[in-house]
Amino acid sequence: MAFSLTSLSKSLSSLLPSQHSLPNLPQNPPNFAPPVSQSDPKSTSIRLSSCLTTPAEETNAITCPSFAYANTLFFKSGHYNVQVVVADNEPEDKLLGRFRRAVFKAGVIQECKRRMFFESSQEKKKRKVREASKRNRRRRPKPKDSAQSKEETSKKDDDEEAGDNWELPEGDLPY
Amino acid sequence: IPKGVIHAQASFNNTIVTVTDVWGQVISWSSGPLFAAQIAAGNAIRVVVDQGRQRAEVMIKCPGLGRDATLRTIRRSSILLSFIRDVALMPHNGCRPHKKRCM
Repeated sequence: MAFSLTSLSKSLSSLLPSQHSLPNLPQNPPNFAPPVSQSDPKSTSIRLSSCLTTPAEETNAITCPSFAYANTLFFKSGHYNVQVVVADNEPEDKLLGRFRRAVFKAGVIQECKRRMFFESSQEKKKRKVREASKRNRRRRPKPKDSAQSKEETSKKDDDEEAGDNWELPEGDLPY
Repeated sequence: IPKGVIHAQASFNNTIVTVTDVWGQVISWSSGPLFAAQIAAGNAIRVVVDQGRQRAEVMIKCPGLGRDATLRTIRRSSILLSFIRDVALMPHNGCRPHKKRCM
């Protein structure tokens, strides 16, 4: 328990300075120092939850399931995949778009569809190959083109050499 | 009851909207097929708005077509949203699912 709290506090302290303005920084360390020493779960939960809500206006909190489990200790909710924190004055379409993008990033709908029906080992292989090709295509479009051009030039050279064997070599004789 | 939770289960054939309190005790629910998700959400929320609900969290389950519609109706009603969460159940590779449909 204590270990998870300390790791959480560290991660939060790393998150908060990037979002808060500078004058708020000196307030944060004294908040984090006492809870760890006291090791009172209720007091830490209250302080950490307040710290989480204040920078969270108009921010996306896309949490992976491992992180979500840590949060559930404090929020008393079930396990969740994606969380979007809503500001009051946000327009409807923007909110929907944000939620959709968060869900897409987490890959929730893909996973659900995959798990609806059983997938044989062959199908699993095919799916993995498809995903890997997608990922590699995004990361490395250029090296594939250069490799192709190299192959083409080497093929051309081979053809020329094969066709020009009957002509005398040009240039001066060595002697 | 100022705070509460709205659960929305949006499957491919149906959407069920359940309004509960923070601890999960159900207050009202309603459901509707595919394109009636808005109506279902509206019915469920109307009951609660009369009781004086201000803040709500939204928990959405299942990949389905009613997700956006429920969100829109909740937004348009006078309830303030605090969170929107996706609570789809993900097994860590547990039970073997049904075999594939041949279509």
